[in-house]
Amino acid sequence: MPDHAIVLDSLEKWFPPALGGWRAYLQPFRPPTSPALRGIFLKVRQGEAVALLGANGAGKTTLLRILATLLLPTSGTASLAGHDTAREPAAVRRQIGYHAGSDQGFCARLSGRQNLRFFGRLNHLSDRIIAARIETLGERFGLGEALDRQARALSSGTIQRLSLIRALLHQPRVLLLDEPTRSLDAIAAADFRHFLKTEVLARTDTSLLFASHTMQEIELLADRVAILDEGKLLAFDTPTALRARTLSSSLEEAFARLTGRHLYSAAESTPE
Amino acid sequence: MRQILCDIFLFFQRDLWIASTYRSPFILEAIEALFGAAMFYYVARFVDSPALRDALPQGKTYFAYSLAGFVFFDYLNAALDTFDRSLQEARDAGTLEPLLVTQVSLPVILIGSAFYPFVATTLRIAVYLGWAAVLFDFPLHAANWPAVFGVLLTTLLAFAGLGVLSAAYLLLFKRGNPAKWFILGVSSVAGGMLFPVTILPPWLQLVARLNPVTYAMDAMRGALLDGRGILALARPLLILLAIGAILLPTSVLIFSWALRRTKITGTLTHR
Repeated sequence: MPDHAIVLDSLEKWFPPALGGWRAYLQPFRPPTSPALRGIFLKVRQGEAVALLGANGAGKTTLLRILATLLLPTSGTASLAGHDTAREPAAVRRQIGYHAGSDQGFCARLSGRQNLRFFGRLNHLSDRIIAARIETLGERFGLGEALDRQARALSSGTIQRLSLIRALLHQPRVLLLDEPTRSLDAIAAADFRHFLKTEVLARTDTSLLFASHTMQEIELLADRVAILDEGKLLAFDTPTALRARTLSSSLEEAFARLTGRHLYSAAESTPE
Repeated sequence: MRQILCDIFLFFQRDLWIASTYRSPFILEAIEALFGAAMFYYVARFVDSPALRDALPQGKTYFAYSLAGFVFFDYLNAALDTFDRSLQEARDAGTLEPLLVTQVSLPVILIGSAFYPFVATTLRIAVYLGWAAVLFDFPLHAANWPAVFGVLLTTLLAFAGLGVLSAAYLLLFKRGNPAKWFILGVSSVAGGMLFPVTILPPWLQLVARLNPVTYAMDAMRGALLDGRGILALARPLLILLAIGAILLPTSVLIFSWALRRTKITGTLTHR
């Protein structure tokens, strides 16, 4: 078993410009000119929880999508549980649970339970195991009878919980979560963090890489924080070390100092 | 292999569950097939002419000829349309990305998603022909069923490659199905769907001879209306198999390239 769950080695990702209409037909294979990730070196240990912190467009989702084998890097390598995401995508997919942060992703006319069963079976779990885990996780996430309602009738928060259950159902070795509590209410979000901390990270050897804008979530869950800005990795350390290094009283302040962004700029600019 | 078949069945089961959530779709389709068969029967009575009778195969009515052509065209349409439509539906519903991170490969996802539409099309055709036989004297008793299924399977293999190419086009360009547009557009005139190609001008007859749909139509009518066996249909079936042998691997290679391309450009799930 490799020492590191995730290894990123000079990872670069550039996207071609988005063209529409006839220009897209005339130039179907445009060279990539927009950088999303630039020279990222990062290692996540087995059983470690790492948060990706950055402004919108910093590259967090791109990084998670490369690890989920949905994107190919432009250069450099990304490997997960010892498997290269570009060359061994099937082996990588056997190790991951991925939550995209979207409130879509389920067959609208199937119930939550039918959806979970379908995706569980696609991850080659038996019906018996799927049924037992849906019961346990459904109860733990407070889904109750929502499990038996069609997905089209569920709120975005409930869909988000279903999506988190789907990512956890096959007990993956590496969890990739993109803003896992974005659509959850405050209590459901706190409950989910508690569940991750006490029942996934503490009891199993699962590694976690998650993107979040919620400092409280990062402080609670993350062993280390990777701060991204415009595709570059600015810092990668424990929350305590990041605060100490920037002489900050909070992670939020440390983030602002490292990225050169101003906190409370909106409040400061409000006329008195 | 067993795992792949199980995965394909899961998609079939999912689509069956989804279809069962709609109210009375099967009843409505059965009624639609009844009206369709009746329409062909009365149109055939109206257009009956000595010139047409001369052009039809020996002893065949225009009703049987045109209905066989129409229902088979429905099948071709499914072969050309299903792969890219399943991909488009998954993309629009947001299920494509969650599917792609499961342990099932995209080709299996595509084949699995296409399975139910093929079964549904086969059932729809069966209902069409059933109504036509019971109410309008369609000569179903003459059919050689093993040959009919042999022709359907061969046609599916021959045209599935074009369906996969359409899916590759959709991945790259997001909308449109040029293979379907071209093949079905050309074939509606020069494919022998509603009239024999022998009544066409010589240059269109040449187009028809180059069109694989013409061979598929001939083979299907031979099995369904004339009761010819697989051996008697060897020539059109071999032509279709040769088309499939070239198109299927080529289309899978092109699809793999298109998939890789969208993973580079980040447009895999874009609409």
